[in-house]
Amino acid sequence: MRIALALLILLYADVAEADAPVSFNRDVRPILSDRCYGCHGPDANKGRKAGLRLDELTGATKELKSGERAIIPGDIENSEMVRRMLSTDPDDIMPPPDLNRPLTKAEREVLIRWIKEGAKYEPHWAFVPPVRFEPPRAGEGWARDPIDRFVAAAASKAGLSTLPETDRATLLRRLHLATTGLPPSPEETDAFIADKSPDAYLRRVDALLASPRAAEHQAVAWLDLSRYADTWGYTGDKPMFAWPWRDWVLNAIRDNMPYDRFITEQVAGDLLPDASQSTRVATAFSRIHRMTFEGGSIAEEFRQDGIADRVATTGYAFLSLTLDCAKCHDHKYDPISQKDFFAVAAMFGDLDENGLLDFHGQPPPPITRLYQPGEEAKEKELIAAVREAEALHGLSVNGIRSSAPLTDVTVPAPEAHYPFESLTKVGTDNAVTNGKPATFERSRGDQLGQVELCEGVQGKGLAFDGDGGLMLAGLEKYDRFTPFTFSAHMRLGEKNARATLLHSSGFYSGEGDASGLELLITEGRLRWSAIHLWPASAASIETSQELPISRWMRVTVTYDGSSEASGLRIYLDGKPVTTKVVRDTLDAPFRPNSLELGSRSRDSGFRNGRMDEVKLWRSALTAAEVAVEHGIKAGSLDDATVADHRLRREHRPWIDSYAKLVGARRALNDHQIKAPAFPVMRTSKHAPPTYVLTRGEYDKPDRTKPVGPGAPEAVLPWDPSLPRDRLGLARWLTHPKQPLTSRVLVNRVWTQLFGQGLVTSGENFGLMGDLPAHLEILDTLAADFVSGGWDVRALMRRILLSATFRQDSTPTKKHREKDPANRLLARGPVIRLSAETVRDQALQAGGLLKERFGGASAQEHEPYRSVYVFRKRTAPPDDMLIFDAGSREICQPKRLTTNTPLQALVLLNNPTFVSAANSVARRAQTAGKDIDARISYAFRLLCGRTPGADELSALRELHRQRREEFAADPVAAGLVLGIKAAPPPADPPKGNAAKEKKAGPEKKSQPAAPAPPPPGDPDIAALSLVASTIMASDAFVTSR
Amino acid sequence: MSPFIPTYDAVMRPTRRHFLGTSALGMGALALRHLVPDASAAGEAVGMHFPAKAKRVIYLFQAGGPSQFETLDPKPLLRERHGQDLPDSVRKGQRLTGMSGNQSRLPLAGSFTEFKKYGLSGVEYSDIMAETGAMADDICVIRSMHTEAINHDPGITFFCSGSQIAGRPSMGAWASYGLGSMNENLPAFIVLVSRDATKDQPLYSRLWGSGFLPSEHQGVQFKAGKEPVLYLTNPEGVSPHARRGMLDALGKLNGVQRASELDPEVDARLAQAEMAYRMQTSVPEVTDISGESKETLEMYGESVSQPGSFAANCLLARRLVEKGVRFVNLFHQGWDNHGGLPGGIRRQCKQTDKPAAALIKDLKRRGLLEDTLVIWGGEFGRTAYCQGKMTKESYGRDHHPRCFSMWMSGGGVRGGHVHGATDDFGYNIAADGVHVHDLHATMLHLMGVNHERLTFKFQGRYYRLTDVHGHVVKPILA
Repeated sequence: MRIALALLILLYADVAEADAPVSFNRDVRPILSDRCYGCHGPDANKGRKAGLRLDELTGATKELKSGERAIIPGDIENSEMVRRMLSTDPDDIMPPPDLNRPLTKAEREVLIRWIKEGAKYEPHWAFVPPVRFEPPRAGEGWARDPIDRFVAAAASKAGLSTLPETDRATLLRRLHLATTGLPPSPEETDAFIADKSPDAYLRRVDALLASPRAAEHQAVAWLDLSRYADTWGYTGDKPMFAWPWRDWVLNAIRDNMPYDRFITEQVAGDLLPDASQSTRVATAFSRIHRMTFEGGSIAEEFRQDGIADRVATTGYAFLSLTLDCAKCHDHKYDPISQKDFFAVAAMFGDLDENGLLDFHGQPPPPITRLYQPGEEAKEKELIAAVREAEALHGLSVNGIRSSAPLTDVTVPAPEAHYPFESLTKVGTDNAVTNGKPATFERSRGDQLGQVELCEGVQGKGLAFDGDGGLMLAGLEKYDRFTPFTFSAHMRLGEKNARATLLHSSGFYSGEGDASGLELLITEGRLRWSAIHLWPASAASIETSQELPISRWMRVTVTYDGSSEASGLRIYLDGKPVTTKVVRDTLDAPFRPNSLELGSRSRDSGFRNGRMDEVKLWRSALTAAEVAVEHGIKAGSLDDATVADHRLRREHRPWIDSYAKLVGARRALNDHQIKAPAFPVMRTSKHAPPTYVLTRGEYDKPDRTKPVGPGAPEAVLPWDPSLPRDRLGLARWLTHPKQPLTSRVLVNRVWTQLFGQGLVTSGENFGLMGDLPAHLEILDTLAADFVSGGWDVRALMRRILLSATFRQDSTPTKKHREKDPANRLLARGPVIRLSAETVRDQALQAGGLLKERFGGASAQEHEPYRSVYVFRKRTAPPDDMLIFDAGSREICQPKRLTTNTPLQALVLLNNPTFVSAANSVARRAQTAGKDIDARISYAFRLLCGRTPGADELSALRELHRQRREEFAADPVAAGLVLGIKAAPPPADPPKGNAAKEKKAGPEKKSQPAAPAPPPPGDPDIAALSLVASTIMASDAFVTSR
Repeated sequence: MSPFIPTYDAVMRPTRRHFLGTSALGMGALALRHLVPDASAAGEAVGMHFPAKAKRVIYLFQAGGPSQFETLDPKPLLRERHGQDLPDSVRKGQRLTGMSGNQSRLPLAGSFTEFKKYGLSGVEYSDIMAETGAMADDICVIRSMHTEAINHDPGITFFCSGSQIAGRPSMGAWASYGLGSMNENLPAFIVLVSRDATKDQPLYSRLWGSGFLPSEHQGVQFKAGKEPVLYLTNPEGVSPHARRGMLDALGKLNGVQRASELDPEVDARLAQAEMAYRMQTSVPEVTDISGESKETLEMYGESVSQPGSFAANCLLARRLVEKGVRFVNLFHQGWDNHGGLPGGIRRQCKQTDKPAAALIKDLKRRGLLEDTLVIWGGEFGRTAYCQGKMTKESYGRDHHPRCFSMWMSGGGVRGGHVHGATDDFGYNIAADGVHVHDLHATMLHLMGVNHERLTFKFQGRYYRLTDVHGHVVKPILA
C-alpha cells in the first residue's frame, strides 16, 4: 500500500516539475476553502475536526494527535494530507465521500505541487488594501484610460484583440440605458450621430450622469441591498411608510453625495455632530427590515431577528462579506468569529425597541417627525414655550409659606365607584349616581376564565382567576393629557410574576403591544405606566418593594397628564411609596380605549387576586386627598404633604401657571402629531446588553460572554481613537485602509455598467468568492476612488469614457470561443435589461412615461418609473418577479438573469406593454410616410437603432399579413387598439327593468346589449402587433 | 505580500450562468447536471442519484395547523381528563405562544370526534376523516412530525422552504431545479390555492418562490377563471393565428441577432417565447374538466363544480401530474382553530376529506399512484389543552410544534402504516420523531434525489433544501 502510494506521489512529483510555481491565492485557496475549510477552517468551535486547521501555516504544519503532520512544506512523501488525498479507502480519503465534492485529478496536482514548492500561504487578496497598479504598455492608439491598457494586455495574452468603438447609435443607447435606464429618442440619436465634435460623447456622459433620471436608475441596486419595500412583510403584511428614506437615497445619488458620507449618514446619521432631519431619516436603512405583528409572537425572538438582519445587510451592502454566516458559529471560511458577529450586533442593537410591530402598524419607535420646511423651527419655538412655562410654573411655588395644619380636606367625588356587592350575567354595579355598570365585554365570551364574588373589605369583593376581567364601560376615554386617579383595595394570593390590574390598551396582540394607561404587577412589584408604544415612547415607574401577599391593602395611582414619569405616583394604604423610573420617553399620544380590570387578552391577569371598592377620578388626587380618602386624619399629615396640597388646590399662581403649562404641552403635541412619524435609529441607555447567542438562538444568550460594539478585525483592526458606536463603525467602514468598502463599490458600479462585476461573486468578497478577472483594474479604480474623495459620479464617468466601455459588443468567433462570458472585456458589454428598465423603456418608447422625482409609491398600472412601483414584500409585483427582481424581504446583493416563458407572456400580453405597443404604433404612424419608414421608426423607438434589411423584411411581412386581416375585421383592429365604445345610453329606472324582466319574453325593451366596439385603423393595429413583436425580441430586452 | 494577477485560466472556469445558458429549457437530462455542482470541473458522470419511486409530487398543504386530535391521532386519555390541567411533568416548561402562554390554566380538551379502524391495516381515523380512512391501506400516517416554529409565518415558511429565514427556494423550486420538467408545454412547478377556504392567514407568492435559484424555477400559480396563468391570454383582437405570425417574425428577428452575436441566450429567449405560445393552448386544455366523466366528478364531491375549490383543485392536480408536471402544491387554509374548534374542523374536513381521498383513488385506478407521491399536512399541530373558552360542546386549541400528524400516499411510501407515536397526552413525541428536514429528505429520496447532493452555491455557501440536517425516514419506504 505504502509503495503504491509512493509511486502515485512520484507520478505527481513529475508533473510538478513541469510548470511555473502555483499561486496560493489563485490556485490553492479556492480548492482548500471549497473542500477543506468546512471542517479544517477558521471555526474554532465544534466545527473543527481532528484539531487541524488548513487555513494558516502554523495549524497546517503542527504535529497532530495522531503524530502526523498534515503538511510538511516541500516534503510530499511525508505530508499526511497528500496521503489522505490519494487514499482509495473511503474511511481514509480526504475530502470524505459524504462531502459529495471529490477532488479532481487536476486539483490534486495543484495541491501536491503547492506542498512540494514549500506550501507558501498568502493573505486573501480582498483583505489587503488596494493599491494603484502601473499600467502596462499595451493598447496603443486604442486605450483612453490606464484601465484600458490592462484590458488590452490581458486580451493579447489570451490571443485576442480588443474591439474598436461601436457605432454611434448603439453607443448612445448603451450609454443611456447604463446611466439612466431609459432609451434615447430617435431624435436624440440623430443629433448624436450628426454631432461630429470631439467631445460629443463626453458631453452626453456628463449630461446624463447629472440628470435625476440617473439617480432613479442607479438607486435600484441600493434599494435591493437595503431591502427597501412599502410593506413590513410577514403575515398580514401591513403598509410600511418608508418612501421618505427612498427619496433620501434618490437625493443623495442625484447630488452625488460622496460615498463615505452616504455610508456614514445611513449607519450613524443620528450620531453625527451635524445631525439633521435628513441624516436621521437616512438611518432608516437599519429600520426597514421585516417586522411582524402576528398574534402570540415572542418579542425578543423578533428583536434578535431584526438585529441580525441589520448585521447581515451591513455585511453585504458595504463589505460584500457573509457576516450572517457567523451568527450561529464561527465563520466556516472567512476569519469572522461568532463574537465578531455579535460585536456588530451590539452596534445595531443600541435601540430601546420592541421586536414586534404593533397591531395597528404604527411606525415603531424610536421615531423622528418628518417636518416640512419651517415646521421644525415651529417645533423648536413650541418646545421653548414649554420650557418657559415649566420655569414660570416652578417659580409659582414662591409666595406660599403657610404650613398650618389642614383641618379638613374634601376629597372630590369619584367618577366611578364599583363596590362589588353583586354580580350578574352582565357585570357589576357602579355606585355613582347615573354611573354605568362595569361589564363583561361581549368578546370576553372567548375567555377561559371568570370573576366571582368573594369576601371583600366592605361587604363583598371580586375574585379574579387570571383569565376573567371586567370592562369599565361608559366613561369618557382618558388620553395623554387627562389627569387620572385609580384606587382599589387589593389582596394578592401569590407573588404574581406578571399580572394586569388595569389597562386601557384595547386590542393587545402580544408582548409590549400596549398603548394607553397600564397598571401591572411585575415580579411582585407595582408598575404604573402611560404608554404611546412600549418601550421607546412611555412614562413608567415601579415600586422598589414587593407587594405583601395575603393581606388587603389600598393601592392608589395617579397621573397628572404631563407625559412625564414625575407625573406618575403610587400610594399604598394612603401613603406614597418609593419608586424608580423605568422609562421617561413618552412623546406621542396613546390610543384611547376603555379601561379593563384584572385581565387583558393574551396577557397574564390578576390570578388569585381580589379587589374591592374600585374608584376612578378624572383628576390627579393630591397626596393629602389620597391619605384622607384612605381615612388618615387631615390633621396628622406632615408639612410637606400639607404644603403640596395647598399649592395645588389653593395657590392661585400655581394653578394658573399649571394651566398654562398644560396648554403649552398640548400645543407642542398638536404640532408634533401633525408631522408623520418615521422610524429611525436612536441610541438608548435602555438598550439591552448584547451577549453571544448560543447557536444563534434568541433564547440562549451566553451570559458569560457579554459583547461590546466592534467590527471584524481580521478585515481591518479597530482604530482605538474611534468611538465604539455606530459612528465609529461608519468611520471603520470608510477608513482609508479599509480593504473592502471601496472595492465593493467599484465592483458594484462596474456591474451596473457592464452587466457583470470584475468580481463575479459581487455578493461575496470572502474566501469562497470568485477571483477578480482584472485585479489591477479593480484595485486601481478603488485606490483612485478613495484618494479622489469617494466620488461615485467621477468613477462612473471615468469608466464610461474608457475605450473598454465603448467597444463593439459583437464578438468574433474567436472571442466567443476563447472567452464566452466576456470576462476579459475584449469586447463591449451585453446586458439583459433589468425588470425596471424593460418596463420603463416600453413606457418611454410609447411616450407614456409620467416623470416626477420622488414621492409616495405608485400602483403598478400607473405609468411612473418602476423605481416608484409599490413593493409588497409577500406578493411583489408580478412583472418584477418574472424579470428576476426579488421580493425585498432581505438584502439582495445580486440578481440572477433567467429566461422564462412568463417573460414572453408579459412582453406580449401584459396591459402595460400592450398599451405601450399601441402608443408606439400611433407615434410611428405619424412619423413615417410609408410602411418601411413607420416600421423603422417603431424599431428605433424600441431598440435605439435602425433595423437591418432582414429584420425590416420580416416585420414588413408581418405587417402586411396582419393589415390584411384587420382590413377584413376592423372590429378586431379596434379591440387591439383598445378603442372604447361610446358609453351605452343610461339604464331605464330599476323598477321598470325589474318589472319588464318579470313580464316575460319581451327582450327588446331590456337594456341594450353593449354596442360592438368601434372599428380601428387596420394600419395602426398591424403596426401595434409589429411593435409588440419587437418588444418580445432580443433587441428590445438587451443592451448591446 | 504582493498581490497576484489571476491568469486567463483562473478566470475562465466555466461559470454557472454560462452553463445554464445552454440548457435554457431546463429539460430533464440537461437539468440533471445541476445535481452535481460544477460537474464538468469535477469530471464526474452526470446522472440521477438513484432510481426515483416518485416522478411527481402533489403536496396538499393544509395551512393554519390542523389539529391531530380530531383527525389522525386518537387520545382517549384527553377525554378521560377533559377539563383537568395539563400536568407540568408533561409540559416540561416548553415554550407556548403569546396567545395562550399567559393563561392561568391549561385544561386538557378531549376530542369530540370518534375514531375507528379502517382497512385491512386497521389504522385509526376519526369520523370526520372517514373518506380518507377508507383509503387507509394506501396511506402512511406519520404521527410524530415536529417543527421548530410556533407562529404561522415562520412555520409555513419553514415547511415550504426548509428554513424560517425568508429568501430560500421553495420545495417545488428545488424539485424543478433538480429534476426539470417532463412536459415542454407546462411549467414544472404549479401552485393551486383553494378559493373555498376560510382565509384566516393569508398565503403569499413567496411561499412558492425560487429564492436564490434562477426565477425559471418559481412556482406558477394557476387561478380559477378566464385566465388561469397571469397574462396567458392574448390581448383582445389578437387571434391565435395572428400570434403565430408574430412569433414567426420574432423568430426571424432573433435569428438575425443570433447570427451576428453568436449568443446562445438569443436562442433561449426564442425557445421561451415558443413555450409561452404552447402554454396558451396547453393550459386551457389541462384546466378544462368538461371531459371528465360524471362518475369521476362525483367522486371528488359536489364542490368539484366550483372552480378553484379544494375539490376542483385536487382534480386539476391529477390532470396536471398526468401531463407530467413535476410538483403540484395545493394550499387550503382555515385550520387555525384557536376557538370553536369542533365547528371549524368539521367544516374543514367537509371541504377536504372527500376530494383528498378521491385524488388517491383516482390516481390509483389510472396507475399513477405508484409513481406519484401525495402529501397531506400543515405547518404545525395543535395543543392538547384548551385555548380560551371551554364548554361542553366547544373548545379551542393553540399552535403546537412539538408533535403533530401528516399523511403520505403513493410514490414508494408504505401503505396501511403508522409511523411514530406521541405520548398519552399528545403533547410530546414518544417514538420515532420526524422533523421537517426529515420529511424533505424523504420526499427528495423518493424522487431519486440525495438531499445532501442537491445543492446550489449562493453567497459562498452550498445551500440545500435540508440545510445541514435531515435523515431519510426509512421505515415508511415501501
